[in-house]
Amino acid sequence: MADQDDQPSRPAADIDPHLLAFLRTRVNSFIKWDLVRFFHENVNTVDTAENIARYTGRDVSAIAPALQELVEANVLNKQDVSGITVYMLTSDEATRALIQRFILACEDRQFRVKAMYYMVRGMA
Amino acid sequence: MIERKATGIAGLDAMLNGGFLPESAILVEGAPGTGKTTLGLQFIINGITACDEPGLILTFEEFPQQYYRDAAGFGWDLRALEAQDKLRVIMTSPEVTLADLKRTGGLLEQQAQAIGARRILVDSLSHFERIALDQRGEHDRLAFRETVFTFINALKRLGLTAILTWETATLLGGLAGEPGGKPVAYLVDGYILLRYVEIDSVMRKAMLVLKLRGSDHAKDIRQYEITPHGLVVESRFEGRQGIMSGNAVPSMAQAFDRAFGRPRRD
Repeated sequence: MADQDDQPSRPAADIDPHLLAFLRTRVNSFIKWDLVRFFHENVNTVDTAENIARYTGRDVSAIAPALQELVEANVLNKQDVSGITVYMLTSDEATRALIQRFILACEDRQFRVKAMYYMVRGMA
Repeated sequence: MIERKATGIAGLDAMLNGGFLPESAILVEGAPGTGKTTLGLQFIINGITACDEPGLILTFEEFPQQYYRDAAGFGWDLRALEAQDKLRVIMTSPEVTLADLKRTGGLLEQQAQAIGARRILVDSLSHFERIALDQRGEHDRLAFRETVFTFINALKRLGLTAILTWETATLLGGLAGEPGGKPVAYLVDGYILLRYVEIDSVMRKAMLVLKLRGSDHAKDIRQYEITPHGLVVESRFEGRQGIMSGNAVPSMAQAFDRAFGRPRRD
């Protein structure tokens, strides 16, 4: 029998509303979650979609659209460097602080379970 | 008196007459585990903590987290230095770096200017080999030379004194191997070799300053250790020859002494 704590009846109810909005509108897939964590941990990374795919152990066909959506969500910046498209973490301090809070919150298992539940429900 | 960029490794600085010359590019070549990155980290840490010279660490392939962890093992808190705007650990690829550095006001230039960086560790230069290919996808020696030449000049343009690491595949010896047989050795201002040496069935480490353009430097081969506080350069190898081949043998005098005993003077 599964642990009842793993099945929150109202997963979004006690998530910080700012983090909930971040999850719902900006990090609404597991690939984007991975990418946000990657850029948080390697904060000065500047690289192409192909190389970021290699660094995160994923296929570029999956990574490229997620990177673009994170750019549109102002989580990442995109730049053209002499014909090479590169991605980097946003320089916006407020967004960086929100990412920091999100990553810190993810260290708590209960938060992770709730966030994953919410994300799966949102993806359905 | 000429300004020097001390590495903070006392024995090495003594070999270098005080340190590297400003805006020079120094190649540090060695096998895995010989301490190339540690030497580079010490150079960066010493710049920040002892010389008020912020630094950049430019890494290809190796994740910044690895540097944070490795540095913490020596008691160096890279995250704290980043938070103080004294350091940036930048992960990128050679192709992006090269394209970026050719621009005016590129991303690396912005990062360097943002913290007033004066030193850089590039780990490692070997990765530039994979972008210097000919039309058949094979290594192009001329293209490689051109690529490294442009890269080094761009670092100098930014006012950075650089340590560039180069990993050799062979564990022992290989003095005539890469990059000695490649154009890199001619393009850099300084060239430090780190080697494993087998002596009496024990692996030791040897350091040699092969080249330091515009400056005198020690020519002898020194022993060194990687301690919990970083690299410590010790005395020269006494009574041995063939050190850089990786398999040192007693010198003629040492062999004579061993065979016949040291002559008594009384």
